[in-house]
Amino acid sequence: MSTPVAVTPVAEPATAKSGPRRAQRITGFMPLIALVALVAALTIADPDFLTQRSLTAVARTAAPLIVLAAGATLIVLCGGIDLSIAALASLSTVLLALWLPDLGGLATPVVIAVAAAIGAVQGVAHVLLRIPSFIVTLGGMSILSAVALVVSGAGTVRVVDDTPVAWLELYLAGYVPMSAATALLVVALIAAVVKATPLHSWISATGYSESAARLAGTPVDLVKIGAFCVSGACAGLAAVMLVSRQFSGGPTMADNLLLPAVAAIVVGGTAITGGHGSLWRSLAGALVVTLLRVGLPIVGVPSAYEQILYGAIIIVAVALTLDWSKVSIIK
Amino acid sequence: MSVPAEREPATSAPVPALEVRGLVKHYPGVKALDGVDLVVHQHEVLGLAGENGAGKSTLLKALVGLVTPDAGEIYVRGEPVKLRSVVEAADHGIGMVFQEQSLVPNLTAAENILLGSEGGAVRRGVYRWDVMRRLAQEQLDKIGSKIDPLARTDSLSFADRQMVEIAKVLRIEQRSQHPPVIILDEPTSVLESKEIDTLFAQIRRLREFASVVFVSHRLDEVLDVCDRVTVLRGGQSVGEVATAGAVPRELHRMMIGSTGSDDHYHSNAATPVGAAEPRLSVRGLSGASFRDVDLDVAAGEVVAIVGVHGSGREDVCRALFGIEPTTAGEIRMDGKRISLPNTRAACAAGIGYVPAERKTEGMVGPMSVAENMTLTKQKARCAGPFVAPAKQAGLVDRWIERLSIRTPTRDTPIQRLSGGNQQKVVLARWLVAGDIRLLLLDHPTRGLDIGARSEVYRLMRELAASGVATVLLADSLEEAIGMADRILVMNDGRVVTEVACPNGGKPSPLDLVKEMV
Repeated sequence: MSTPVAVTPVAEPATAKSGPRRAQRITGFMPLIALVALVAALTIADPDFLTQRSLTAVARTAAPLIVLAAGATLIVLCGGIDLSIAALASLSTVLLALWLPDLGGLATPVVIAVAAAIGAVQGVAHVLLRIPSFIVTLGGMSILSAVALVVSGAGTVRVVDDTPVAWLELYLAGYVPMSAATALLVVALIAAVVKATPLHSWISATGYSESAARLAGTPVDLVKIGAFCVSGACAGLAAVMLVSRQFSGGPTMADNLLLPAVAAIVVGGTAITGGHGSLWRSLAGALVVTLLRVGLPIVGVPSAYEQILYGAIIIVAVALTLDWSKVSIIK
Repeated sequence: MSVPAEREPATSAPVPALEVRGLVKHYPGVKALDGVDLVVHQHEVLGLAGENGAGKSTLLKALVGLVTPDAGEIYVRGEPVKLRSVVEAADHGIGMVFQEQSLVPNLTAAENILLGSEGGAVRRGVYRWDVMRRLAQEQLDKIGSKIDPLARTDSLSFADRQMVEIAKVLRIEQRSQHPPVIILDEPTSVLESKEIDTLFAQIRRLREFASVVFVSHRLDEVLDVCDRVTVLRGGQSVGEVATAGAVPRELHRMMIGSTGSDDHYHSNAATPVGAAEPRLSVRGLSGASFRDVDLDVAAGEVVAIVGVHGSGREDVCRALFGIEPTTAGEIRMDGKRISLPNTRAACAAGIGYVPAERKTEGMVGPMSVAENMTLTKQKARCAGPFVAPAKQAGLVDRWIERLSIRTPTRDTPIQRLSGGNQQKVVLARWLVAGDIRLLLLDHPTRGLDIGARSEVYRLMRELAASGVATVLLADSLEEAIGMADRILVMNDGRVVTEVACPNGGKPSPLDLVKEMV
């Protein structure tokens, strides 16, 4: 017992697969390479780009997207997808704008809690009714959009006194936008909690092979509901950031963030089939997407082309990250 | 390509419809086919017999192009062929009726029969129902079936659907101008005895214009319907028997090898006797595919459940782990009644389960050895709510050493290990916390080579000796007899008999087979 067993090199060919797949190795660095390349390209196109002012602008623009993508990443890691995040964020901006006058500083945590609860309800529906997350959140997207229209009276809700959310517009140490710092903190916090607890094993197992996870006694259902809950909370936080910038809430304010958020996740290299990926990857992906967004006008591409780009990015990135061995039939 | 000299086309007898020579197929950690030879004569029904893991299904898959062999040759009517897909196999006149039926349920029988080979039934992209009906009727007439070609497939009985499958497979005649070779993979496993008679009559008719390869677990059937039987064992052809005058006993001996049970996995631990209360006590357990199952397992005892495909033993095992719902009955652990609504409840009750499908259900392939090993008993590697890396490393390394798991590091993805080492990690998952009371082992040695098998056997023995109760669904009768203290025989969802299986008084496989079929 006390003799340490030297792990001898295996005599027989004990390995079934050789190393990580090449595509996976490439996608591991893809977001970072893309990030550096984009910054370089934009600097060449416009030497003024690499200034503190425009970098701050990029960080501020990216903040809500980072938070949205981070939350949804948890669901993608579990093997699902959340299409309702943008609609939920829009609804949350309306609720925040409506509640700020009465609740003041309390409005922020209340809105985030409500968004988390809505996320959790979708998770429960997905788990208990055994409906694919794609369908649940597609339906949820439609419902939440309509609710936002109804409660807002189909118009923008102005925020007269924005002091409770104005802190997000401050600058940390004079340079770093508070919203970006908050987004970074949220990503770091969720990533650290996942990493340091059994959650990492549970989420990966659920995403890679739900049946194996279930047969190992992993709390698959709770993990999924939890992921939806956190995703909802992140949508709520993204809404707070949007309201603090725009001084208003609107029933479609965040709707155009859905595609960029999904693009951020897949560009980061998180596998859409679940299991493989991380929140940090989505952070990098969100920065790439934001740079593209900011950069297109700089290089003279009309912003109408933006959506074409997102669509193409998603398709190409998924093609690169998809684990074909796991997907035998493409639906 | 690698066999230049050996090209003599068989013998003076008519060229065999299909011939296989020296087929080899490796899977990681196991040789599924180890130089199989097989000859199918024209207008012959050839039986293929062998235990689980003998290589039957791999061989069949190779014949229809679903598996590419590593070495060896396949000849169709004397011509060497390479079969890369089901379509190529069909072009050579080889077709298979799959064990899991491959019909589209909401189409008519006629549409299914012509699916993929519509011929004249489609003109300018539009179905011509009259032609389709006629073509389908021709196919059905050929096998003497009375099915209405316009009946929806999901309204047909299972036996009728099998007829539709056979009619569909026979369409490959259109592709090659020769009598086809039809492979039937366990066609009787879900049929009633009357339906089986009908099927056998059809198979005998098929012989007039085709060759048939018939696979079944049930030896009496094989002897009944086939002209000749080839027996596979350990990925090799170990013998050929003309069925006239042959008896099941003889075949069975060839299937399981020369001896009854090798002593390398004999259960040597003394069976604990007279414990006041059995560790597991099941009374009247019923579910969708089993009824009134009583089962007692004492601490330290290994109880094997044997039965043919469809006997319900797998479902009993899964019910004991909270996967398969039950409709009646009670389960007690150490005298205390428990309910098992899900796998979490089973884990909490100290029950562990090693699934038969290791790669898809037992392990999470891309995750590390350490993560797989600690997936269930998270507390064993945590300090409070957090994973303690040092604690995990110590724990995992201890079990790697204790079970001599060969892995480069504890962080290696488990899918890079050989099958036997993967299985040891899956087993270790239940042991790391030291709170396991009952282990359910569903084919724990499936797909493992001999060396890995004996290591799993040794491990099972040690666990039993340490007081763990074990329910074993063995890969073979030989294994059940070697490992078990007691054997329950299940047939058609019920426990039909119980056979004591002590050291020195082991029953013979044939005694058990009698009860199983």
